[in-house]
Amino acid sequence: MSPPVQSEDDVILALANVESSYGPIKAIRGVSLKVRRGEIVTVLGSNGAGKSTILKTISGIIDPNRGSVGFKGQNITALDPSVIVRMGVSHVPEGREVFPLLSVRDNLLMGAYTRMDRDAVARDIEMSYSYFPILRERASQDAGLLSGGQQQMLAISRALMAAPELMLLDEPSLGLSPKLTREIFEIVVRINRERGTTMLLVEQNANMALNVADHGYVLENGRIVMDDACAVLREKEDIKEFYLGKKESGVRGERRWKKKKTWR
Amino acid sequence: MSSPSKRDPHRIVRGDEFGWKVDTLPYKSIPELFRLRVKELGDATMMRQKELGIWRAYSWNEVATIVGEIGAGLASLGFEPGEVASVLSNTCREWVWCDLAVQSVGGVCNGIYPTDAAPQVEFLCADSRTVCLFVEDDEQLDKYLEIADRLPLVRRVIVFDMEGLAAFDDPRVISLEQLRELGRIHLQKHPQLLDERSRSRKPSEVAVLVYTSGTTGRPKGAMISQDNICSVLASLSSTLYEGLPRGGERIAFLPLCHIAERMIGEFVPIERGSVVNFVENPETVFENLREVRPSLFFAVPRVWEKVYSQVAIGLSEADKLQQSTYGWAVQVGREVAQCTLDGREPAGALKLRYKLAQWLVLNNVKRMIGMDRVEVGLTGAAPISPDLIRWFLALGIPLREGWGMTETCGGGTATPRNGMRPGSIGLPGPGIEMRIAEGTNEIQLRGPNVIIGYLNQPEKTAETIDAEGWLHTGDVGHVDDDGYFYITDRMKDIIITAGGKNITPSELENDLKFSPYITDAVVIGDKRPYLVVIVMIDQENVEKFAQDRDIPFSNYASLTQTKEVQDLIWGEIERVNKKFARVEQIKKFYLLQNQLTAEDDELTPTMKLKRKLVEKKYAEAIEAMYR
Repeated sequence: MSPPVQSEDDVILALANVESSYGPIKAIRGVSLKVRRGEIVTVLGSNGAGKSTILKTISGIIDPNRGSVGFKGQNITALDPSVIVRMGVSHVPEGREVFPLLSVRDNLLMGAYTRMDRDAVARDIEMSYSYFPILRERASQDAGLLSGGQQQMLAISRALMAAPELMLLDEPSLGLSPKLTREIFEIVVRINRERGTTMLLVEQNANMALNVADHGYVLENGRIVMDDACAVLREKEDIKEFYLGKKESGVRGERRWKKKKTWR
Repeated sequence: MSSPSKRDPHRIVRGDEFGWKVDTLPYKSIPELFRLRVKELGDATMMRQKELGIWRAYSWNEVATIVGEIGAGLASLGFEPGEVASVLSNTCREWVWCDLAVQSVGGVCNGIYPTDAAPQVEFLCADSRTVCLFVEDDEQLDKYLEIADRLPLVRRVIVFDMEGLAAFDDPRVISLEQLRELGRIHLQKHPQLLDERSRSRKPSEVAVLVYTSGTTGRPKGAMISQDNICSVLASLSSTLYEGLPRGGERIAFLPLCHIAERMIGEFVPIERGSVVNFVENPETVFENLREVRPSLFFAVPRVWEKVYSQVAIGLSEADKLQQSTYGWAVQVGREVAQCTLDGREPAGALKLRYKLAQWLVLNNVKRMIGMDRVEVGLTGAAPISPDLIRWFLALGIPLREGWGMTETCGGGTATPRNGMRPGSIGLPGPGIEMRIAEGTNEIQLRGPNVIIGYLNQPEKTAETIDAEGWLHTGDVGHVDDDGYFYITDRMKDIIITAGGKNITPSELENDLKFSPYITDAVVIGDKRPYLVVIVMIDQENVEKFAQDRDIPFSNYASLTQTKEVQDLIWGEIERVNKKFARVEQIKKFYLLQNQLTAEDDELTPTMKLKRKLVEKKYAEAIEAMYR
């Protein structure tokens, strides 16, 4: 059961019955979710559950077959991505997608493409460097030469350069060591706390995501099967078994079979 | 129902009155029958099951060899005639092999529902004094291991599927393969073993234990003899199979621990020489149905309802032309069905229209649901909506209703081939006497199919089977002048409202369940001012309803709470309310907020809501509806 909505003004992003497909294949089959201002919300799910599709539908890369996406009370369904960015939504895509032949600094400036306030942009670059000092060291290097973790830092910083109110993070932990993953998540939380940036985080690393997020949705086969505060989700049997890998080992000390999911 | 009866409503009705006859069988037990069929059918296919997605066939000879090995293996472990072996598994080939093997060596075979939890398994093993336990896989084995120390009688546990158990070592546990190996060695020393063992037991002694699911109290083990089983098999050719050829294809998917599938999915196909196809798992029933295209399809009402609602949902996505053609065809089908029900030939013009309707629509629908070859559809184990029966008749699928219970070894009544009466459970089978008790209106039955009694519970046996041999079924009903029986309710379920009105909740519940949006419902109102109902929605159909109307929901619980879904269900209740008197109106309802599974206490293994448990578990929600 979702917590009572404190006030509709709090809701910065609302999806209602969104269905998106790739050709004939429906990737999400009716997703409704809400993100409140200042929250970190996570969407958990296995491969192919439709997590990335949700983010792509929000940022306008995919147009949904039905349903609506509302941002700050306005209907942004199927608007052009460039318009949506200007409204304050930044997308950190899966697999970083930095511009490999541009320098780190130029990548950051690309992130600020929509902005005219040069002084503020300069300040924000400094801020990115303060979050991720390594980027300052590599400022003039080609982004393609950065390590995976550094590229992820750059991708997050680049998204930040648009001064978004809502950041969509698509699997920031992908391919990163546990240590780097932790570091990056720490910064994500810092950005959220210090700048008040709302985050919608898609993750396979359920443990990490449940620790940093306030509210979580579980997506299976394109449908939400469960949603609750992360503190509550962490204690649910099905989450423990299927997302956190904690299971009673039983009498034999090992177990191969899976319990049936009930999502309650 | 309304026309005054001319005949005594409490007379004894005999199945033999209707021209139905008991066959003389050339065997006295299932092992004998099996040997007979093996001799006749040899290398023909007996059963099929998928292996890595491909149907693997087993001939009668192959199964006979396997059964012999398992039986001899059991004997080599010291399994004696009259001892009990239990099977804890989903419906599969090994289940049948073990059942036949256990019976062949004079043992008693008991089934345990794979959805039962460890404490239930413990109770059933202890109560039945199980000495050998067959388990399907590591999941079921773990249940045993949890309680192994409390089951000293269990000598050996045999696992069908050893995947994931390669490193597991426990002297009590062996694989089915190992058991067969033991059996092969044993058979070399004792080649006459099965012959000797076949004479070890009398046909009147207990051969099979079937525990009743026990909606109240602890489960009771019904003791079923070979005589009981054979008496049911002897009644088939003039009733259910009247005019039908032997052989054919069957699909088995209900739990074999349940008497219905045990009979129709195992014993009856052996008698009829039909091929049994085991579904991959309970979720693939409808796919497997389309692959197998069985000639006889037996299912509980819930499954028939699901088939109907699949078509209904599919139709809602069709275009206008398709919808109206379908509507026309089903209407024509209904008219023809009504003729059949009234026992008259449809007129020439109607016949022609029906031909066209079949060719244009009905045959395609049948093909789509995998029932284009069905010669008999059979429903039982729970009441079914007459409207649903009419719909299948309209398609041209002769859906017949049978009524029986564990205590009657599955036998009881059947609706005759050309004399179906939707709403009635039919006529008593051959060799069976039935009557409506005076005063209580309880349906009582007497015949060779009535079980020996309940294991370890002589007092319960005495309560259920009286000195004259009448079985007190606990179902309340009436009989019409033609001998058709009707069930109105379970005796203990009848509601007497605070206003003193007797209400039979199942009438309301069955009507509600006909809605594609309602899976099950429990009407409550005993000693209450008005009726309320607890409803379990059909997740798939309601989700689709919500999605089509852009009703936002996140999970199951939030789906049930949306105003539109609440209105939808209320609409369904209003529809049903219209059919009933004012005192029988349902005033409030509550939607269950969890999708229940067979593992949940609230559901029987055949996925019916258990009234008593629901009343207890949702007491607070019920109270709230009376505030």
